[in-house]
Amino acid sequence: MRLAIERVAGRRPWPPRCSEFTERFWRALAEGRLTTTRCAACARLAFPPRPFCPHCWHRSVEWVELRPGGTVYSSTVVHAAPAVFAHEAPYRVGIVDLDDGLRIATRLLGVAEGFAVGARAELVVLAYDDGPLFAARVRG
Amino acid sequence: MTGVALVGAAAVPCGRIQRPREAPLQALEHETLAGCVLAAMADAGLPKESIGALVFTHPRPYTPQRYFGTFMANWLRVATSGVLVEVLGDGMTGGLAFDAAAEAIASGRAEVALALGANFETATPSPEHMNLIMRATGDLDFHVPFGFTPLSWYAMDAVRYMHEHGVAREALATVAVKNRRHASLNPLAQYRRPVTLEEVLAQRPIVEPLGLYEVAPMSDGAACLVLAREEVARSLGRPYARVRGRGFYHEGAHQISEVPNDMIAFDAAARAGRAAFAAAGIGPQDVDLAELYAPATIVEVLVSEALGFAPRGRGAHAAAAGETALGGRIPINTSGGLLSRGHPPYISPLYAFVELAEQLRQRAGERQVAGAEIGVAACELGNYNAALVHVLEARA
Repeated sequence: MRLAIERVAGRRPWPPRCSEFTERFWRALAEGRLTTTRCAACARLAFPPRPFCPHCWHRSVEWVELRPGGTVYSSTVVHAAPAVFAHEAPYRVGIVDLDDGLRIATRLLGVAEGFAVGARAELVVLAYDDGPLFAARVRG
Repeated sequence: MTGVALVGAAAVPCGRIQRPREAPLQALEHETLAGCVLAAMADAGLPKESIGALVFTHPRPYTPQRYFGTFMANWLRVATSGVLVEVLGDGMTGGLAFDAAAEAIASGRAEVALALGANFETATPSPEHMNLIMRATGDLDFHVPFGFTPLSWYAMDAVRYMHEHGVAREALATVAVKNRRHASLNPLAQYRRPVTLEEVLAQRPIVEPLGLYEVAPMSDGAACLVLAREEVARSLGRPYARVRGRGFYHEGAHQISEVPNDMIAFDAAARAGRAAFAAAGIGPQDVDLAELYAPATIVEVLVSEALGFAPRGRGAHAAAAGETALGGRIPINTSGGLLSRGHPPYISPLYAFVELAEQLRQRAGERQVAGAEIGVAACELGNYNAALVHVLEARA
């Protein structure tokens, strides 16, 4: 269930904010665990994690660990990048449908050409100097 | 929304109007917009005293004058007893301004209402501008850190569409050629030189598979629409366009939801379109022309399918076959659309209504859709996570 951790030199170009609630997500991610919240009433998952269920608005949720596997739904290569990401351009981003039934959007790694639609991917942790991000690595 | 009419419209050509902050002479939003207001009211044939409501599009953050709407009311010296408000909703902003102006009339708060605004942004270099707008099209903490740009979502629509329907990029790119040809006939258009498919395909990549001509440019612009109670419109003794139907839908999703769906169905557009057509008592086959908010070729294709102008998976082929061009079965974006007429985002939908006002009053010159009676305007926010659709009808 653990995500592979890949070291990346430097700082995250756009570091995500951390709240008392989401701190738990980012701390677990740094340890190689992808987590989110599941409703105690309707059992549906949410992502990003929330302190309530967005589906039924029940206030009681539990933290669960997700499997890293998924399938690429779509992707693109960004050439015209925002200034904060210009040094990384061109870079790939994509939409991945996780095996646990969640759709996420993230960086896509390991694609040499084409758009990898339908390809299997695994979420990995990118360990920057200032903290973690996650990404999807396509298995070729 | 019965009894509301579009009786006047004016806009400046889209393009680079704003000047660098350090330039000794500035182009000012209120000066440009005031010219549109006077022209639109003259077009309507209504006196300034008739105005009961002013609905402004909120300006970009690059417009230094704050409280722009109330400042503008002073500049124009217009007093209102209905409402004065600035609205904001990303790319839908101009559509919401039209909607709120129409609502002010339908509710009886005003006899005449203006939907108006200026969107100036071109003095900011694109990479800097994207630092701002990337924060509008995603979750700041769970999408933005990966480098998604507004256009990247549409590019992923294109990739998915090409994958599911076996469509080549070339078919999608014909939309850009078609829109440029339309723009060549529109004095308000930013880019009017016709281009070939080869030229479109040869441009530098922006978000793969889309190149420079397959996405909208940065633009400045200003526009003013005059809406009136239909009795007022009729008393003017000149052609006008009546609001015949309206539909809105927001999916409750921002760009993407974690619940997997058919991303390229553009469900909000389909639902808003069905609601607008039902209110108008028509179907998509009755529409003579449509102005669709589409910042990329793929978006025009997907909205045209969602609104029922082409079957699922056939929108790109319909465009390639000329069905959506002037003279075709259902001309789409006769103005040139966002790609070629230009895209000052907060007011791009106002320009859509300017085009409908011209077409439905049979004044569009060389790009006139012969006998145009029913026109549709659609705009969105997110990746068409929300859509606002209006059906307008020509009245002579």
